[in-house]
Amino acid sequence: MRDKVIFLVIGAVATVLFWIFRVELYEALYTVNGFSDQMYNTGAYGSVAVITIAMAWGMAAIYYYVINSVKFDRWYHWLAMLGVTSVLTPVVCYLVVSHLLEGFDYSTAEFTFEVYNILFTALTFIIASFSMRWWSSNCRHTPIPQ
Amino acid sequence: MKLFVFAIGGTGSRVLKSMIMLCAAGVRPVDANGRPLQDVEIVPIIIDPHKSNADLKRTERLLSAYNTIREKLYGKNANANGFFATKISSLKDVVSSSQVPLDDSFIFNLAAVENYKFRDFISYNTMNEPNQALTSLLFADYQLENKMSIGFVGSPNIGSVALNGVKDSNEFKAFANVFADGDRIFFISSIFGGTGAAGFPIIVKNIRQAKNIDAKNKAFLQKAPIGGLTVLPYFSLMESDDKEDKRIDNADFVVKTQSALEYYNNTLTGDGQNAVNAIFYLGDHGHNAPYAYDPGDKRDQHDPAHLIEMVGAMAPFKFMSMSDSELTDLATGNPLPTKAFEYGLEQDTDFVDFAAFGQETRSMIYRPLVKLHLLYIFLRTGLDGMIGQGFTEDAPKITREFTGTQFYRVLTQQFFDNYIEWLTELLHNRRHVTLFNEGEMDMNKAIHNVITKKGFFGNKKVDNDVFKAEMNRLSRDNNRYGSNPELKLMDIFYTAAEKIINERYNNLN
Repeated sequence: MRDKVIFLVIGAVATVLFWIFRVELYEALYTVNGFSDQMYNTGAYGSVAVITIAMAWGMAAIYYYVINSVKFDRWYHWLAMLGVTSVLTPVVCYLVVSHLLEGFDYSTAEFTFEVYNILFTALTFIIASFSMRWWSSNCRHTPIPQ
Repeated sequence: MKLFVFAIGGTGSRVLKSMIMLCAAGVRPVDANGRPLQDVEIVPIIIDPHKSNADLKRTERLLSAYNTIREKLYGKNANANGFFATKISSLKDVVSSSQVPLDDSFIFNLAAVENYKFRDFISYNTMNEPNQALTSLLFADYQLENKMSIGFVGSPNIGSVALNGVKDSNEFKAFANVFADGDRIFFISSIFGGTGAAGFPIIVKNIRQAKNIDAKNKAFLQKAPIGGLTVLPYFSLMESDDKEDKRIDNADFVVKTQSALEYYNNTLTGDGQNAVNAIFYLGDHGHNAPYAYDPGDKRDQHDPAHLIEMVGAMAPFKFMSMSDSELTDLATGNPLPTKAFEYGLEQDTDFVDFAAFGQETRSMIYRPLVKLHLLYIFLRTGLDGMIGQGFTEDAPKITREFTGTQFYRVLTQQFFDNYIEWLTELLHNRRHVTLFNEGEMDMNKAIHNVITKKGFFGNKKVDNDVFKAEMNRLSRDNNRYGSNPELKLMDIFYTAAEKIINERYNNLN
């Protein structure tokens, strides 16, 4: 039990660190003059980070505690969930960022940024999975056994 | 409590086989409140000079498989719940002293009998002429010439002489020494044959007269609670190919039964005798299929399992469930007058499913046997595909190597092959016992005339995935099994099956 709580705490800390250092992390990965400034000035980095965290943890929770089925307990089911989350989250983020940066023509940069955001989404989903899977009745050994 | 079960003759072995099946399913004796008795240990002692008897060999192999499985699950503990819960030990297992040499077997050593023709056993040739004449009046020529290694071929008059020496054997002395206060004795025998009909009263007599033997616990033995299952005719025999061979004749079955019952009444069960505390009579005349003629030297007595044997196997459980005050005068310790039991089906039918049994029988065997059958289906169709997932990955892990262990092989091959053979024989015998649908591996349809409950979208489903989900739930954070994956598998399946049966089947109550 203690090990499981430690995993959960590590996952939560990693997520909080992602939130705290969201700007540095995003800009380390992708910086474009103008676009990055607007992202910073409008607080879009914060919105994108919140959506990414919420979607990744939410989708992981759905997989482990709502789906939670013996018919979907194989590694490839989890991988499919990771794929769906990694695509869906940037799409939502793209729509939100487009709204926040309305009046600017950064569509190419926005698109490229969201492609990079797939990486953060996938990483957050993995962190969320390994933080919460231990209490799932049917999927706790997915994607790899404990 | 130890229950020493003397299984005498071919019927004894066959009833014992059914009893092992019930024990494997988790059937246990219960107290007056329906709670399983604790510390029950069954010590079967098979008495049959016909060692090549196929039924005896099958029972012995099954006992061996049972113990291999049980020891892996529970070690030497007497207390257990679930499949294979009841401890079954050989006489050698329970004898702590090594002073008496015993075979490591469930079979009573009758070497003093089985190596002889009856004529030689009674030293006929050395008798004087009047004694020979008297002996010839009492025994037919074929009986005198009978090689006792094939048993007593339906002749209780041979058995009553030959088995009189049982009291002098090492096995009987060991039994007399190990028998303790609180233990009980149960006999399983037929009354229309030779070995069982003779062996039952003789051994009871030897037990009640234990004051004459050199045993430390003989006082307990003399007043021991004794139960007996006396099986009346329930099968018939085809005629012999050799028209002259009339050693065993159907026509004699009823006459022999009447004579033996009269004898039992005068010596064991009648007024003032009280040699037996409880006796269970069981028979089924007229609903049977004839077996091939076999006095013991034709085809080694490979007879199919029968409803009577399955029902008879419940008698020892019933006997164990009886309280001391039902059997014994608690003030004096003497046996109370014999309590006699008979058995009837709720529905007199040729096709006996769970519904044909009475309430008491159903409550004893329905759930345990359904669980065992679902385990059989699960192990044959489900577990292999689950390895590496769900509960199999929780500690202790059930790995691919697990399916190659001795435990798994004995369970899935030796034991369950015997189980299916037993069910098949019960089904094809008369009466036909149709507890489960033959060959049906769909859990929804496996139990004869029992379907699943109605759910929101049609009938509720029972399949390997349902078991997997429930076993996953039970296995999570479960630290009870240490490094024993065998116990984990069997225990969580048993618990899962209990819940699934209750929630999903339209059970018979």
